[in-house]
Amino acid sequence: MDTLISNLSLGFSVALGLQNLALAFLGCLVGTLIGVLPGVGPVATIAMLLPITFSLDPTGALIMLAGIYYGAQYGGSTTAILVNIPGEATSVVTAVDGHAMARRGRAGAALGIAALGSFFAGTVATIVIAAIGAPLTRVALLFGPTEYFALMIMGLVFAVVLAGGSLLKAVAMIMLGLLLSTVGTDLETGDQRMTFGQPFLWDGIDFAVLAMGVFGVSEILRNLGQSEDRDVVRGAIGRLLPNRKELRQSVAPVVRGTLLGSAFGILPGNGAILAPFASYAVEKKLAKDPSRFGKGAIEGVAGPEAANNAGAQTSFIPLLTLGIPANAVMALMVGAMTIHGIVPGPKVMTGNPSLFWGMIASMWIGNLMLLIINLPLVGLWVRLLKVPYRLLFPAILVFCCIGIYSINSQPIDVLLIGLFGFIGFLLIKFGFEPAPMLLGFVLGKLMEENLRRSLILSRGSLTTFVTEPISAGLLIVSLVLLVTALLPKIRKGRDEVFVE
Amino acid sequence: MNEMKNATGRSTVRAPQNLAGGLALMAVAGLALWLLGDLNAGSLSEMGSALMPRALAVGLGLMGLVLAVSAFLRPGLIIERTKLHGLVLVLLAIAFFAVTIRPFAIGPVTIPGLGLIISAPVAIVIAGLATPEARFRELVALALGLTPFCMLMFGDLLNLPIPVFPASLIDSFPEGWSQKAVLRIASAVMLAAAVLVFVTDRQKSVSDQGNQG
Repeated sequence: MDTLISNLSLGFSVALGLQNLALAFLGCLVGTLIGVLPGVGPVATIAMLLPITFSLDPTGALIMLAGIYYGAQYGGSTTAILVNIPGEATSVVTAVDGHAMARRGRAGAALGIAALGSFFAGTVATIVIAAIGAPLTRVALLFGPTEYFALMIMGLVFAVVLAGGSLLKAVAMIMLGLLLSTVGTDLETGDQRMTFGQPFLWDGIDFAVLAMGVFGVSEILRNLGQSEDRDVVRGAIGRLLPNRKELRQSVAPVVRGTLLGSAFGILPGNGAILAPFASYAVEKKLAKDPSRFGKGAIEGVAGPEAANNAGAQTSFIPLLTLGIPANAVMALMVGAMTIHGIVPGPKVMTGNPSLFWGMIASMWIGNLMLLIINLPLVGLWVRLLKVPYRLLFPAILVFCCIGIYSINSQPIDVLLIGLFGFIGFLLIKFGFEPAPMLLGFVLGKLMEENLRRSLILSRGSLTTFVTEPISAGLLIVSLVLLVTALLPKIRKGRDEVFVE
Repeated sequence: MNEMKNATGRSTVRAPQNLAGGLALMAVAGLALWLLGDLNAGSLSEMGSALMPRALAVGLGLMGLVLAVSAFLRPGLIIERTKLHGLVLVLLAIAFFAVTIRPFAIGPVTIPGLGLIISAPVAIVIAGLATPEARFRELVALALGLTPFCMLMFGDLLNLPIPVFPASLIDSFPEGWSQKAVLRIASAVMLAAAVLVFVTDRQKSVSDQGNQG
């Protein structure tokens, strides 16, 4: 406990420095600004804004990026409530009751409770990270390549189970992502793999390029085909603070959502995405009058928003302790850390404590800032949302181009976001979900390296994965998950969760 | 949201979307296997560079096969039609930005670098035309307004290494002019132009409406 407090106070002394405070503020502001744009989720936002952190020192850069992340997350919820367009999967749930509330003239209360719930969840999640970061790091030091490989398999199984729609298609997408990650020079043998002899592929495909193409450009291509019927809330936003009754109704859902979110976020394989769905389902089950849900029940906003934010934050845990990115956002964080010469993993905490704890403390500060920034700025976001899409998308596109060009100063990267945008668009047309592909890509290189090392250790015997106890345990959990997902009854329930 | 449509009629292909998806996966797997052709897979105790990608490609191909076969057995969705016009223009805008932002060599031909000041507004206009609701003057105003914002933000404030002016023009700047000062003046001129286009556009549309009414 004492070490926890001393660590946190170290963190706060770093994060409360004038420059870092300003960076956290700027990150939150810019992140919200871009995240509010319809069809731009956190991944595209971060990829776009990555270059603006290059000139900063590593701690400042990560603090700002974390701010951008929360900002984008919150911006997505704002869009979901005010317009019925969720920026990304996790705010789908918020859109249901949040937008219904907005239609009834309670937009202000919905935004307010989303902000308050997120802040509470963020506070708890910060403490969770600080408390279990250190012990988990010690566990991580026990992990060898065999255990890492098994853990990543578990992460991928989670991603398959959590993806909506056909399991077969989700597995195929993971394999495609893994395959794409092997493009480039093989580090062990120095062979060129699938590079078409092109120098720009020698280092493999840049994750930011792939993510920007699949989440930024293909989203634009998809939206173009749909007629514009954006139903921005007209008239008054109403009072921003929820009234007494609404507050009382929201307390329990926020607490439950925070717990669910914190737990799901820690899971490898983008568990955070499931948290808001789970929270919504729980609130609906517990409600005295479930029929209110879908028509503007404040519990349906408070719970999922808290779950969403808690999950978003605790999904840093696998990255900070194990060095394994749990989702696309975390993969971008890996990219940002690598640019600044930091290798994510258990050694960050011991080797660079001011960075580690400074970042954790800034998470809480970022959440506080979001509360302060967003409530007064809601009017601005509403006005931004009233700009028609025909003017927004060319702007988004040019931001994407400038952002991706600035990362490596390579025009070819810009061409590639076009290519991956087109590929992502085709995937959606063919009914594939791109998210598992991204996760496969993120984990691919790490998996191959650890597989290779564990097979060297075991002299080529695959049985090592089941004879080593930790690895065997992780694989059994994965197997159980996969089998339960295949059971017809659970499968139906799973589909229902996603349909809702 | 996408409108889900099931395949109708008694066609032998009951899930066109899955058939296309399966074939696409098989094509990717085939391409990967061909590209990996001359690489060594090694053995399990000493993995070669081709082992994992080849195994993945085989797996992907099998998934594609299952998916494609299932399209004949189980009913599923059709593939929605796409308007090519918008798709092509958006991709064209990206490509234009990519090849003109700085000098770009395609074989023997080198496209001169035009810098942000030209690449960005042209890309905005090309992309903007992708939607049927596009109005040209409005797009010009947007392009002229957004570009100076990007120039000031990325070129001036953040100092990102992105070319702002055409490569040929920079050499012809008179001595003693700082590039930043030129950047700011150019931005101001463009913003003024944007306001002008915006205002005349608005007047025009108001008078158009007046005439109709």
